Amino acid sequence: MDKTLEFLINVGELKDRKRRGWLANKVPNCETTASHIFRVALMAWILGKKKKLNIDKVVKMALIHDICEVFTTDETPYDPLLPANFDSLTDQQKAEEVLRKWPKLSLAQKKKRADLKHQREEKSLFKLLAKTDLSFKNEVINLWQDFEKGHTKEGRFAKQVDKAENFLQGMEYWQKHGKIQKDLWLRWAKEIFDDPIIIDFVKTIEKDIVAKKKN
Amino acid sequence: MEDKFYLTKQGLEKIKQEYKDLLLLKQEKIHTETPVVFHSEELDTEFVAFKEEVELLESRIADLEYILNNVEIIQEPSIESRDSVQLGAKVVVEVNGEDDEFILVGTLEANPIEGKISNESPVGKALFGKKIGSIIQLNSPVKTNYKIKKISY
Repeated sequence: MDKTLEFLINVGELKDRKRRGWLANKVPNCETTASHIFRVALMAWILGKKKKLNIDKVVKMALIHDICEVFTTDETPYDPLLPANFDSLTDQQKAEEVLRKWPKLSLAQKKKRADLKHQREEKSLFKLLAKTDLSFKNEVINLWQDFEKGHTKEGRFAKQVDKAENFLQGMEYWQKHGKIQKDLWLRWAKEIFDDPIIIDFVKTIEKDIVAKKKN
Repeated sequence: MEDKFYLTKQGLEKIKQEYKDLLLLKQEKIHTETPVVFHSEELDTEFVAFKEEVELLESRIADLEYILNNVEIIQEPSIESRDSVQLGAKVVVEVNGEDDEFILVGTLEANPIEGKISNESPVGKALFGKKIGSIIQLNSPVKTNYKIKKISY
C-alpha cells in the first residue's frame, strides 16, 4: 500500500476512538480523539493570534499532538487506578469511585507515570511514522518533542491549548449532562494554566458556561 | 520574547544533557549519513531529506541554546526565607480535606502531570511567599482553600 495512504488510514482510526476520560465519566455519545484534535487546532490558531507566535508551527503541533494514540491508549491522569474498559457494571462503579475524588499521587508516582506515558507514546509515534516520507516523519517528531518538552514558546502554548480544550469540553459536558466533577475541574484549571491568554480564556468559560448554569 | 527561564539545578542538567545529545547526534549524522551528491538537473531526494533532518536538529539545538543563554538557576533560599514558598519549594498542601504535593517551578519546567506547578499559574502565584499554616483561597465559580502543611527544599 502507498505509505501516505497507509498513514492516513491509520490516523483516520482516531475519528472513531472515543476518549477514555469521558467514557470513564459515562458521558453519553462522547467525543473522539480526532474531534478533540480538531478543536485544539482551531483554538491554537485563534488564541495563538493574540501572541507573537509562529502560528503555522502551533497549528501543526495541535494536529499531531495526539496521533500517537493510534497505537497506544488515550491515558487519563488516573489510569493506573482505572479499569481497562468500562463495559461491565463493576468496572463502571470502580471508575466512578476513582473519579469521585481524583486520588492524589505522590511526586514520585506522578513522575514515574509521566515518564512511562511519554515512553509509550514516543514508541507508538515512531511506529505510526515508520513508513512515512522521511521529511514528514522528521518534522512530526520534531514538533511532537517540542510539544512534549515545551522548549519553545510555541510548544508551551500548544500544550496549554490542549488542556484548555479539554477543560472547555469538560465544562460543556457538565453543562449538558452534569456527569463531570465540575469543582475538581475548576480547581485543576487554577493549577495547570499559566499562560495569560489561556487564563483569560478559562475565566471566560467560567463566566459564560459555569456561572450561568450555576445561576 | 521571554527574557529569563527559571530552572532548578535538575531542570538545567536535563536541558544541558539534551543539548549535548543533540550536538552529538548532529555530528554523527553529518559524519556517517551525508549522501553522495551527484551533479544532476534533478533534485536529489535523499540529499534534500538529509538536509532537512540536519536543519531540524539545528533548530532544536538553537532552541536549547536560547534557553541556556537566558537561564537563571533557582537557588536554594536563604535560611531566613526557607520557611516560605519560593521557587524550587516542595509544598504539601491540604485542599478541601485532602493532602496534595507540588513543586513550584518556572514556566519552562512546569509539568502538572509530574506535580510541577508554574509560579505563573493562579495557584503558584498565590502560594508564592506564603508560610506553613497559611491558608490561601482561590475564587472561581467555586472557592478552593489551600492550607500549607509542609515546605521543603
